[in-house]
Amino acid sequence: MTATSDPGARPANKFAAVFASEYLVLGLCVFYFLAFAPFTEGFASRGNFSNILITLLPLFILAIGQTVVLITAGIDLSMTSTIALTSVVGGMVMSGENGWLSNNPTAMPVAIIAMLVVGALVGLLNGFAVTVLRMPAFIVTLTTMMFVGGFAVWLTKSKNIGGLPESFLAIGNQLWLALPLTLTVAIVAHVMLSRSLFGRWLYAVGHNSRTAYVSGVPVTGVTCSAYVVSGVCAALASVLLTADAQTASPVLGRNMLLDVIGATVIGGTSLFGGKGKVLWTFFGVLFLKLIDNSLNLRNLADWDIRIVKGGVILVAAMLDALRNRLAVRGS
Amino acid sequence: MNHKVGRRCPQRSAPREDRTRKNLQTPRPGALRTATSCHPSFPAGAALLFVALAILFLTGCNKSDSTAPAPGDGKQLTIGVSFETLQTEYWVAGFNAIKGELKQRNIKMLEAVADGDANKQLEQVRNFITRKVDGIIIVPKDAKTIIPSIKAANAANIPIVLFNRPADASAGTKSVAVVADNFALTKETVAYMIGEAKKSGKKHKAMVIMGDLGDINAIGRRDGFDAAVKEAPDVIEVVSRVPSEWNQEKAQAGVVNALQANPDISFIFTSSDFLFPSIISALKSSGKYKQIGEPGHVILGGFDGDATAYQMLKDGYLDATGVQDVYFEAKASVQAVLDMREGKPVAEVIKDPGFVIHQANLKEKAPQMWGANVKQ
Repeated sequence: MTATSDPGARPANKFAAVFASEYLVLGLCVFYFLAFAPFTEGFASRGNFSNILITLLPLFILAIGQTVVLITAGIDLSMTSTIALTSVVGGMVMSGENGWLSNNPTAMPVAIIAMLVVGALVGLLNGFAVTVLRMPAFIVTLTTMMFVGGFAVWLTKSKNIGGLPESFLAIGNQLWLALPLTLTVAIVAHVMLSRSLFGRWLYAVGHNSRTAYVSGVPVTGVTCSAYVVSGVCAALASVLLTADAQTASPVLGRNMLLDVIGATVIGGTSLFGGKGKVLWTFFGVLFLKLIDNSLNLRNLADWDIRIVKGGVILVAAMLDALRNRLAVRGS
Repeated sequence: MNHKVGRRCPQRSAPREDRTRKNLQTPRPGALRTATSCHPSFPAGAALLFVALAILFLTGCNKSDSTAPAPGDGKQLTIGVSFETLQTEYWVAGFNAIKGELKQRNIKMLEAVADGDANKQLEQVRNFITRKVDGIIIVPKDAKTIIPSIKAANAANIPIVLFNRPADASAGTKSVAVVADNFALTKETVAYMIGEAKKSGKKHKAMVIMGDLGDINAIGRRDGFDAAVKEAPDVIEVVSRVPSEWNQEKAQAGVVNALQANPDISFIFTSSDFLFPSIISALKSSGKYKQIGEPGHVILGGFDGDATAYQMLKDGYLDATGVQDVYFEAKASVQAVLDMREGKPVAEVIKDPGFVIHQANLKEKAPQMWGANVKQ
């Protein structure tokens, strides 16, 4: 899969071919890790690996949802608010303190189902506005972000919900539960994107919705579904985050948005649509998380970390724009 | 900008740039398949590599000072400090006070700011544990989400001290909280204000601005206020209770409304000094912002001891404020970590008695008031 569009790989192009490889970002991760490990106390320790993994999983799930939307040339800015709302809904259902199903054995599965349904509904709302009402995804999801985020705060009167059942909390701190969950999401998304007709439709819509429409792709349904997938992914990530914090909170995940979009773009998914892969996104998430974790371990101040991360994401987005221009010129 | 957004809208009736630009890319039926095999190309890799190298270079150079070996016996201790936010003066003052205290004791400090994100704070605590710190001082995001962090620190056998914000009780967790005695200090502050009110010989109508009543600190202050005014029913009549939820706009709207409903309010207590700008603007617009001694002066009191309050005291507008002794809290937090490490018994809650600063003791107490030491 490393082939470029130019198959006649002359020796001079070998160097370029390495950089053109889709495993490049993974290579960067390995390089970054090897370069930092000797100088960063605790970076290569077992405890740190599980720390990276626990925080990486929800980000990865979110980024998968974002990838699907970006492939259709849309964007979903409402993911973080969806996390908060689903977290609150889950907490209201299953909290042992004053939940609707307090201390009922079905509380945990019902709560998770409720979270997923709410996530899907938020996605459906976005998808409806983008396709049927033909509104720009940017403003639709931006306003959904405000509305849904505000709604979550209103529901709880800005109070956190504690007393979540132990069986639910286990998802957050037991890797053997969280890891298979995330892997399942990743594999399903990967198969959907690379092996299914629906996946091909997604790329077609992102590449050129008009052509796709003319070719018989059900553009409205496909685009709408992408937002639903994104909403469900946000709900799944919310399950992990809520369990990790052991609290349902209306401000959960509030600052994750740039990480989500950033990781996706670093992986190579295009902001202009029609291009993206689950594997790339994983590499992007891994790279961003490694930067985050290592800088934190190196005791950099919060703003330093933000500057570095912002810089990396900016570079990735700039290159995306550049690539897009070159692609247009090339053809 | 417009045309970009337009392209995201899939069913739009083919805007012009769609035809000119996008169609060029994918006129072939095979396009659907090739779309999936695009890849990050050369410049992306080169630039990301460059950034990675730059990070390594930058962070590699500036860290030598923090790893300086400790003089004297034993290895240098390390304490991880995580703040929920550094967005108000009080937290910045607390952060700097802890930093100073640790420096004085030659303890290495690892710092982290969670930026209001509970999961991030937990991640930071885990990072501290990975780095095998000797203790953790933390300003919790809130009383509930801090519990997993306490559990993690307990499991790693690392002492954890909560700075200025206690956690909810949770079975099997062990931590120490250093908090201001909100109730007692508020009561004392309001009692001083009542003493001033008595001098006028008339009965005063009072307004109290309350904080977020989900915050135990806010509840303590409200109760302290209530306890103080209860003792002076012949001097104070509370006519207005404004809920602010620690939000300036909310506070301002509430104060304006209350002053309209009761124009003769002459006694205002706010649960935090950071709401003073809202109160001042509401008072000014109704012509009631007068210096102490001027006719029509509204007796003002607050809590925290920030820079605004200090300026108001100096200018003779503010009667009194209850000062959280941030230096005491920093010292007590560090001491608690060290004591816990040595297995000495430490109280679960260490109370900062604070002090009331007012016109009469301003000169004497100002050096201890953190708001007087904040550079503006």
